[in-house]
Amino acid sequence: MRPLPDWLTDNRDTASLAAMLAPDSSSSLEALAAESKAITLRRFGRTMTLYAPLYLSNYCSSGCAYCGFASDRKTPRHRLEPDDIRRELAAMKKLGISDILLLTGERTAAADFNYLQRSVEIAAQEMQRVSVEAFPMSVNEYHELAGCGCTGITIYQETYNRERYEALHRWGPKKDFIDRLETPARALEGGIKSVGLGVLLGLSDPVEDALNLYRHLRHLGRTYWRAGMSVSFPRMRPQTGGYEPPFPVDDRLLARMIFAFRIALPDTELVLSTRESAAYRDGMTGLGITRMSIESRTTVGGYDDPENKEKGQFEIFDDRTAKEFCLALRKKNIEPVFKNWEPAYNGPSDGNASTVHPEKAEPCH
Amino acid sequence: MDVLQLGSYTFSSRLILGTGKFSNATIMLQAVRASGAQLVTVALRRFNREQAEDDLFGPLSAIEGITLMPNTSGASTAAEAIRAAHIARELSGSPFIKVEIHPNPQHLMPDPIETYEASRILAKEGFLVMPYITADPVLAKRLEEVGCVSVMPLGSAIGSGQGVATAAMIDIIIRESGIPVIVDAGLRSPSEAAHAMEMGCGAVLVNSAVAAAGNPPEMAEAFAEAVAAGRKAFKAGLMQKSGSAIATSPLTAFLGANG
Ligand code: SF4
Repeated sequence: MRPLPDWLTDNRDTASLAAMLAPDSSSSLEALAAESKAITLRRFGRTMTLYAPLYLSNYCSSGCAYCGFASDRKTPRHRLEPDDIRRELAAMKKLGISDILLLTGERTAAADFNYLQRSVEIAAQEMQRVSVEAFPMSVNEYHELAGCGCTGITIYQETYNRERYEALHRWGPKKDFIDRLETPARALEGGIKSVGLGVLLGLSDPVEDALNLYRHLRHLGRTYWRAGMSVSFPRMRPQTGGYEPPFPVDDRLLARMIFAFRIALPDTELVLSTRESAAYRDGMTGLGITRMSIESRTTVGGYDDPENKEKGQFEIFDDRTAKEFCLALRKKNIEPVFKNWEPAYNGPSDGNASTVHPEKAEPCH
Repeated sequence: MDVLQLGSYTFSSRLILGTGKFSNATIMLQAVRASGAQLVTVALRRFNREQAEDDLFGPLSAIEGITLMPNTSGASTAAEAIRAAHIARELSGSPFIKVEIHPNPQHLMPDPIETYEASRILAKEGFLVMPYITADPVLAKRLEEVGCVSVMPLGSAIGSGQGVATAAMIDIIIRESGIPVIVDAGLRSPSEAAHAMEMGCGAVLVNSAVAAAGNPPEMAEAFAEAVAAGRKAFKAGLMQKSGSAIATSPLTAFLGANG
């Protein structure tokens, strides 16, 4: 068994985050909220960057106990073909979306690297910004993906507790805890400009996971000084018939985590998805979160065919339309920002770019 | 008349406004008008050709008496900034480009090496280049040499509101510079803007301090007044600080009249 990396036990700068997250913390939730709000306003202004997910495929070879797409689930499997993708993108563009997250399950013959790469190419022709949440890849594969216009990779460790991790990931490539842990570094090594990290809240002790997530971010920041980073806070809810999270995180603890991360990492993008309710997302607006998903579908496709009643990867709690959601943001005096990127900045991040090679960073065609 | 000269362009206002971070376009436009700014900067990544409601460029270009200066914020290398500059010129028609290159999208510190490269090439191509830089006097001279029309050293980190934390370096840059020095980033209050102008800056650029204020248009106006006051004070000549005044009985009298 490969040993844990040193950084996972590095206590160099965890003290203040640990103090804010401790169950008996002396900092009141209200005080943390006020500080988090002030930092967010100074650094990000009165804006919220918006993106939407597009599930390309739900084929999967892994057996994550908590996931609706695990390979033992009897859910119908499909993938979007290039023309389907173009139709979905067109429907998304009609909603104003220009920043997109492409998702697949674990690597399979039906949805492998070539399929993903082709999909990124198509998306990059239509959208201003393309990120990917898929299977772990090699440094070379990440480099190729960056060349095709992928600027960000989202890869959650799910939990940093190795024992729990290995129990929850019953089979498939995702079972390898250390390989998963090393994936964001490989993405940055390959020239991906930013990585999105997170733990799936509910799987294990949330405070322990949050501190390890922070250690991971700090380690990556020190090793890859160019790295853009974002943190998501996906939370599992107890659902009827679904997987019961053994460590449920309540609204107040989730809020405490978001505020504490904003204070500990003032410049980092913090993301909250439609897994959370409209009321919770509205309440959080302006207090620390700077990026939210809108109009999410967690079924394969689903934008072009609103009648699709299939079960998605997880349940959506905020199902407002983009229009409704923007209205709520504006009521809070926050501007929704659909486009916050320029394809001229696509291409692998260049480790030593002191001379100008415009052709080097040209996206592929 | 006392004007800010940037290339062949002259401006009577010495306040430049950034246009990101506002709660909506209407408030942003009100702030721009209230500031009296004649030069405003807008990020190319906030140009949205496909969705008017999300576009910052369209509404700004409709205001009369405003020159737009697109910026390359989001670029992490010289190559990216150059590509962005070309697109921005095509879309906006403006000869100005604010070169902003931050390889780390988190703290947004400008990369001196990439910024130098991009500025050199863009100036040669005929752009009026305004590079956003750390407060480094040597870098400022190197950028002047390659034809930039101003340099824009940071007062402190973007969005930090720490004021002119780099005052000692900016002082050297101003003393040595043949082009206007514009303090960009970090200003929180009008008094800090006045201070920068008293030091001899050609202009200041403000964004967060206005966008995040309780009443952005009013804060924009306050900045305009502070900038004008600071400039006036600079022109009038500030009284020497105590300690550096010339003694009434000369210390060198013993050297004789023709010494
Ligand atoms: S979480 Fe991802 S890898 Fe695991 S079963 Fe679901 S789709 Fe597959």
